[in-house]
Amino acid sequence: MRTQQRGWNGVLVAILALTVGLLLSACASTPEVGQAQPSGVGATTPGAPAAPPRVAEEPVRQPGAVAERPVTPAAPAAPARPAAPTAPPAASPVEDVFFDFDKSVLRDDAKASLDRNVAWLKANANARVSVEGHCDERGTNEYNLALGERRGKAVKDYLVAAGIAANRLQTISYGEERPFVLGHDESAWRWNRRGHFVIQR
Amino acid sequence: MTVRRRSHALRAVAVGLVALLGGATAEAQRYEVEIQKEVFQRIPLAIAGFAPLPDKNPGADLATVARSVVVADLDFTGLFDVIDPMFLPVDVRSLKPGDQATVLPMLNLFKVQGLLVGTLERRGTELALEAHVYDVERGTAIVARRYLGDVTAVRQVAHRLADEIVFRYTGERGVAQTRVAYVAARDGARELYVMDYDGHNPVLLTGNRSINLSPRFSPDARLLAYTSYRDGNPDLFLLNFQTGSRTKLSALPGLNISPAWSPDGEWVALSLSKDGGTNIYLMRKDGSGHRALTNGSGISVSPTFSPNGRQIAFTSDRGGSPQIYAIDLEGTNLRRLTFQGDYNSSPRWSPRGDKVAFVSNMTGRFQITLMNPDGSGLQTLTSEGSNEDPAWSRDGRHLMFTSTRTGQREIFVMRADGSASRQLTRTGGNFAPDWSP
Repeated sequence: MRTQQRGWNGVLVAILALTVGLLLSACASTPEVGQAQPSGVGATTPGAPAAPPRVAEEPVRQPGAVAERPVTPAAPAAPARPAAPTAPPAASPVEDVFFDFDKSVLRDDAKASLDRNVAWLKANANARVSVEGHCDERGTNEYNLALGERRGKAVKDYLVAAGIAANRLQTISYGEERPFVLGHDESAWRWNRRGHFVIQR
Repeated sequence: MTVRRRSHALRAVAVGLVALLGGATAEAQRYEVEIQKEVFQRIPLAIAGFAPLPDKNPGADLATVARSVVVADLDFTGLFDVIDPMFLPVDVRSLKPGDQATVLPMLNLFKVQGLLVGTLERRGTELALEAHVYDVERGTAIVARRYLGDVTAVRQVAHRLADEIVFRYTGERGVAQTRVAYVAARDGARELYVMDYDGHNPVLLTGNRSINLSPRFSPDARLLAYTSYRDGNPDLFLLNFQTGSRTKLSALPGLNISPAWSPDGEWVALSLSKDGGTNIYLMRKDGSGHRALTNGSGISVSPTFSPNGRQIAFTSDRGGSPQIYAIDLEGTNLRRLTFQGDYNSSPRWSPRGDKVAFVSNMTGRFQITLMNPDGSGLQTLTSEGSNEDPAWSRDGRHLMFTSTRTGQREIFVMRADGSASRQLTRTGGNFAPDWSP
């Protein structure tokens, strides 16, 4: 639930940014639309702000995608290595870690992220975190719940082995039910096979 | 559907013509033999309409609805050939009860075996449907029934009539009155719904804006087991359809997921992750008698009982990839059933016990596959898009499943041989159907 709230804050920010951007671009492009469909513009009330409401609706239908879109631009920079996403720190001081398909083994880039998370957890000795295990949409839902559980536990085990007290770490699996990026190919899946950190307040 | 039915009807007409013409060429005779075999396999029925009965909504007619539901139900079974009236020599759609004697000889000539004639009347807020099905050859009544129901329940009344016809002809209970529980993705949440087996009348069951998954009807269809994140953890709940009450059956730390009912309705198998791995446990439906069926640090999920209740098939990755295994209920005789491919999951034992349906990864897409309970006789049933969540009808004649073939997840139904696939939901994000007994 906490994630969802944080997610929605992100959505709101995204909506604002998108709305402002689209309003600006709409102003610029309005004459063009008018030229293309003069009768249509006349029929619908003059100056009807058609664009903004439509934009406001879209994030509501796809909250995950909009909230996480800032992450995806990092992808083309390193297409060869689906690992090492650089974006999350802006949102959270603890980094998410990513997995291969049907795997819960920690990759080297995941271990590097976790080492930084260990440093943060040691510097913030009162902080408690929840580790959410997530999967991409492929495979069956019930199996993915168990796979997400194992990913969460793999992350927790690594942190405990690095000296973080187990009672500061919770795990929960969402399987494939809460994708961060909507989409049906590897460009989305790679972000959804994730150990996601939520700082408990 | 219409196309196929028409082709059958056309063939029936062809048979009739051949018979009428008498002196046929050798070629025509060969044709006739081939056709008669096919027509013989299904029972050809003519369905007369009901006299128009306008609904409250302008343009809607209850008689049209009732007839179309009966026709769709009978066609769905694959046991009947509901003959399009336009291919018959008499106008059966305007037939009234009592008129049948005048048309039966002509229908008999056209190899029609049964004729349904009925009336539909409004009596206050009630609807009265009277139906007679005649054996065309003998002229006797096979079904003579009157159904009463609320005016808003015209579809339910028609489903009952269809099931009665199926029972009279086959001796088996039809599935026209069964229902389907499923998950619908709505605004990031996963809510449970229940709908009629034909996709009509969806009703929301949860509405907690959380994640609700894996609905499973008890064998008497009075209870629904499911997993819900309502209270922050994936816990297992029981919904009682009669009282509307929801009780928590299992809320241990970690996963409480993938329920399955024993055939006697006394036990629930489920997966728990409280001890490191995710393993299958058994418990009574009141939560007592808790015991582990599998153990270890791997994943064991999605149990399904054999119809005699003595074995369970399930998904496990103990061999390195998800595969189907079976185990006796005593926890002995563990054996692996699938060896082909790197991902086989979600087994569902057929009600007759002769097949296990499951999901198999075929070059990146997932397909509904059948096998014998010993792992032999693999048969892939789907090919378009990705297909998951097989669920049997109680008679084992059909499978419901989730498919992405339209670009979004929707619930489909097909015959158990993979034919006659049809789409049931159209709103997007619908999955995990469970078909009521």
